[in-house]
Amino acid sequence: MIIDNILGAVAELATLQTLALMMIGVAGGLIAGAIPGFTIAMAVVLTLPFTFGMPASQGLATMVSVLVGGLSGGLMAGILTGIPGTPSSVATTFDGFPMARRGEPGLALGIGVWSSFCGGIISAVLLVTLAPQLARIGLEFNPWDYFMLVMFALTITASLAGKNLIKGLIAGTLGLLICTVGEDEAVGMARFNFGSDALLQGFDFIAVLIGLFAFSQLLSDVQDRSAAKKSLSQRVTVRVRIEHRRAVREVLKRWTTAVRSALIGVFTGILPGAGGSIANILAYDQAKKVSKHPEKFGTGVPEGIIAPESSNNAVEGGALITMMALGIPGDVTTAVMLGALLIHDVIPSPTFIAEEPVLAYSIFLAFFVAMFLMLGIQSFMLKVFVLVTKVRMYMLASVILGFCGIGVFAINNVEFDLWTLLWFGILGLAMRHFGFPLAPMILGVVLGNIAELNLARAFAITTDLSPFVTRPWSLLFLLLAIFSAFFPLYQSSQFKNRWTLVYSPCMAAAISIPVFMMGGSVRPVIAVMLVALSGYLIWKRIRSGWQLPSNKLA
Amino acid sequence: MNRLNRDTVVAIILMVFCGIFFWASFSIREPDYGVLPPSAWPRVVLIVLSVLSMLYFIQSIRSPRSIDKSASKIEKGIKGWFLTWQNPIWCFVLFFGYVASLPVLGMLIGGIAFVFLLLCMLGGWSIRNLLVHALIASISVGGMWSIFTFGLGVLLPAGEIFNPFG
Repeated sequence: MIIDNILGAVAELATLQTLALMMIGVAGGLIAGAIPGFTIAMAVVLTLPFTFGMPASQGLATMVSVLVGGLSGGLMAGILTGIPGTPSSVATTFDGFPMARRGEPGLALGIGVWSSFCGGIISAVLLVTLAPQLARIGLEFNPWDYFMLVMFALTITASLAGKNLIKGLIAGTLGLLICTVGEDEAVGMARFNFGSDALLQGFDFIAVLIGLFAFSQLLSDVQDRSAAKKSLSQRVTVRVRIEHRRAVREVLKRWTTAVRSALIGVFTGILPGAGGSIANILAYDQAKKVSKHPEKFGTGVPEGIIAPESSNNAVEGGALITMMALGIPGDVTTAVMLGALLIHDVIPSPTFIAEEPVLAYSIFLAFFVAMFLMLGIQSFMLKVFVLVTKVRMYMLASVILGFCGIGVFAINNVEFDLWTLLWFGILGLAMRHFGFPLAPMILGVVLGNIAELNLARAFAITTDLSPFVTRPWSLLFLLLAIFSAFFPLYQSSQFKNRWTLVYSPCMAAAISIPVFMMGGSVRPVIAVMLVALSGYLIWKRIRSGWQLPSNKLA
Repeated sequence: MNRLNRDTVVAIILMVFCGIFFWASFSIREPDYGVLPPSAWPRVVLIVLSVLSMLYFIQSIRSPRSIDKSASKIEKGIKGWFLTWQNPIWCFVLFFGYVASLPVLGMLIGGIAFVFLLLCMLGGWSIRNLLVHALIASISVGGMWSIFTFGLGVLLPAGEIFNPFG
């Protein structure tokens, strides 16, 4: 069965046109990821209009390629200029840039490239094996569970996306509200159109995304008049050759760091809202903690490049697992991927892999192939990157704004979408300026309809609200949403207030209840383990006399 | 405008916004079929948004300095404000003009004009710049227009005054 699906996917992707598109996608992603100020999400969003005319598998393979390229592109800027190309490669600069300045830029780049490849391949393997299993679990979900899963995804995104939880939640709720404009999907009644016929169709999802994310990002990039006129970087080391052989040896010598970081990346990716920006710091921190020479971190040690690069490439595999198995995007980039699936009339859900196996396996396979393409063309793209860094910021921004206009219009051939782009561009810039995170809003826009449809389905079954707390999965997501809402408070008070000492034990104990309610043979065992963990943590706190831990990072 | 005012003003705007939308939710027609009325979900979202806006309002009054420190970078006065936001404002104004003139100029000419003017507004109007900007605008928009028109078969608006293929 799996072999058939893989063969079907190979037949879909093994065309000259698709491979050429994937190569262009990886190359474009590498450059977009390498340019500081441009994000991977922006590159993926801007690729979307090109994929409308393509078959679903080809379009998605192209977008996956951009994604993979973008994930690896950030390291070029980080290592050669000290400015991370994307938030996912912030930690790469800690050791990559010192190594490059020490006179070994080729080795630093090589380690980065091969670690990215390792992380990507590990996450691709986990994607293929875990996504169908998770989808099987997803089949147990009822509308109440789905509704609560969306609420959990929004809460955790809001709590992780910004320093201010309230602003994050406001952004997420605004995203949900945007979805309610236009005819509702259940009964077709006009909502919030204020007499406008154009608003009856609602806001186009892609125009909103490009406006909120790409348009506002470009405006933010050119806001500083003098910086806008400067080229992207004058500090690039020209004529660098990637030292592949030495780099492979260095990565293989430290394979535990690569594997551990990849697993951190996959786990972070599976969590809705937690993306590469968190994973690379987490993996770097873990690598430093287990190292025999943590004091050398920051001076240009290979582990300091392997950990963040392996984890940030693994993140997307994890995010794709959640998106493909449950239809819930793990981050902004997978939210765009979900949008691409919807455009091709494919609705990701737990039945997606079973109903569209060839398409699902095409995405898996594209993820694999893109990793190899990335490896092959990174050396060539390094030369292009050096050229691109000579272009002035305002030139790039103006050209991309022009492209945004054409791309958005091409979605539906409707002029109203361009107005949507403009208004949401202004809104996005205002939100950035006032410190509102955009990720929860984008997830709100993507998940709004899913939440409402499942709420409607739940009410169609019964108007009783108790299933939200009596159904195990719904209760689990509700509890996770509550604990994730308190997470920012926990984080800021961790070394100051004693109540934070009971946060983790309480969470483990609370989560054990719905897990126990799920029944079966494995889940009650997990519930008992959670209770035992909770007990152990409390016992540890009692033994230490409820003393607050010291902040080692401070 | 200091930080206290700024966050408070945003919170008030959000609350007014919620009020308007809540009022508009009473205009949503309720059909005789379906269990969940079409206005129910938007109202739930609006209630949550209103509560969050209130909390944001209280937070902005209680701890005005702890939220964000970016306000200090902005120059004072209307002139200062314009200078700070000059580039984004030009982007908006030119994009507005681009979309508004689309039925007349079309996507190709309008797009080239938009990118050219934006490049000049952001990069300067020297003779050398004019030539470079004209070249960049023509090649980039022309190339993109060609990809969509000939490669992807998308019908982009040709415009009333210039319609080479119409």
